[in-house]
Amino acid sequence: MLKLLRKALKVGEATVEYPFKPVEVAPGFRGKPVYDFSRCIACGACATACPPNAITMDWDLERGVKSWNINYGRCIFCGRCDEVCPTGAIVLSAEFELAAARKEDLYCRAELKLCKCISCGAYFAPCRELEYVLASLRQAGLLEGGHEGWKQLLKVCPECRRRQAASATGALGRPGRMPGGRQ
Amino acid sequence: MDQEVKLAELKAKLKKVIKRSVYIYRVDCGGCNGCEIEIFAAISPVYDPERLGMKVVASPRHADVLLYTGPMTRAMRLPAIRAYQAAPDPKIVVAYGACGCSGGIFHDCYSVWGGADSIFPVDVYIPGCPPTPAATLYGLAMALDLLQQKIKGEQFAETEVTRVVPQYDGVCPELAKEIEQEARRLSGYLHGRRIAAQYLQFVREGDPLAVDRKIKELIKQEKDPRLAEVFLSLHKIYMEKMERVGHNAG
Repeated sequence: MLKLLRKALKVGEATVEYPFKPVEVAPGFRGKPVYDFSRCIACGACATACPPNAITMDWDLERGVKSWNINYGRCIFCGRCDEVCPTGAIVLSAEFELAAARKEDLYCRAELKLCKCISCGAYFAPCRELEYVLASLRQAGLLEGGHEGWKQLLKVCPECRRRQAASATGALGRPGRMPGGRQ
Repeated sequence: MDQEVKLAELKAKLKKVIKRSVYIYRVDCGGCNGCEIEIFAAISPVYDPERLGMKVVASPRHADVLLYTGPMTRAMRLPAIRAYQAAPDPKIVVAYGACGCSGGIFHDCYSVWGGADSIFPVDVYIPGCPPTPAATLYGLAMALDLLQQKIKGEQFAETEVTRVVPQYDGVCPELAKEIEQEARRLSGYLHGRRIAAQYLQFVREGDPLAVDRKIKELIKQEKDPRLAEVFLSLHKIYMEKMERVGHNAG
């Protein structure tokens, strides 16, 4: 009995005082994914990677916005979004106190503007993504000298670009004399 | 409508009355048992919820709080409703885990109806896959109005076009990509990113010769042989790249 008491006194209290005092999480703990709106380029990599579809992206081509949406109630805290994000806009934190009384509090939404195609006038890609591509090209040294056309080319939607390329190719050869094609 | 108001009043009264004697009944609606294991971890002496009066009981007839874990599967919906009806009114319903909140990773499964809220009203959602014992205690304390809710729904909208610059300013994106890929391949995304950032910090600062010297010094001083090895392989990529660039220029 005394032996047991001595041991208990030596070991001390094992219970953590959690609700009254903050508890320390383990290093590398994967908690709430925190979204940094100022760094997001709406590329959709996180939405593609997310295993339970907690992160979703939607196009609204009428209003010209791409919306980003996370449901913390569905998130499994795997960290795949953190892993694939090219700009570090979503990072897992040590925050674990996520309980909520209303479901709306578990959502985080963001809307990013889309860019209009200069040729056909339809919305086709997030402005920030295009700016990011331009900045990357600049950093790679590809924008200096002879590549000014790239800037214009980026503002054309893929469909118009295809059409332009096709008409440019058509202008090169003589029309109506495709091998195997009808005259 | 009148009944709902009455129920809310009763619930508020219940919270006041059961402050130090909360009986919890746990229903698994078809989850993977991860949540159960975490609940058992939460009722272990390390977290000891019995000092707050929380106790897991074996019958819903004794329960004040119903804890629904797992996605609401077709097979378990009737037992879940039976447990809900068996618990005396007023009761507090808690949706536990990602599956309990919204169906989680099983949300589009053929037999899954969604979270616990697809069948009956839920008072508190505790997200997590599974929630840690501390998160469990926090959620239960929130259900009993002992603690305040911390998370808030957020909404962002772009008012004007802002620019996002690539990470690792001043480094060729292709080189940065290769270094980061190799670092992640060798030591995982979490440490890989940190190591790549540390390495690219050197690259950003000086010309190839200075970088070479600094990195070799760093590798010599590094006490962790694993980290030194990673730095060495990153450095190999960098030197090869620089050689190729030099070759092309010359």
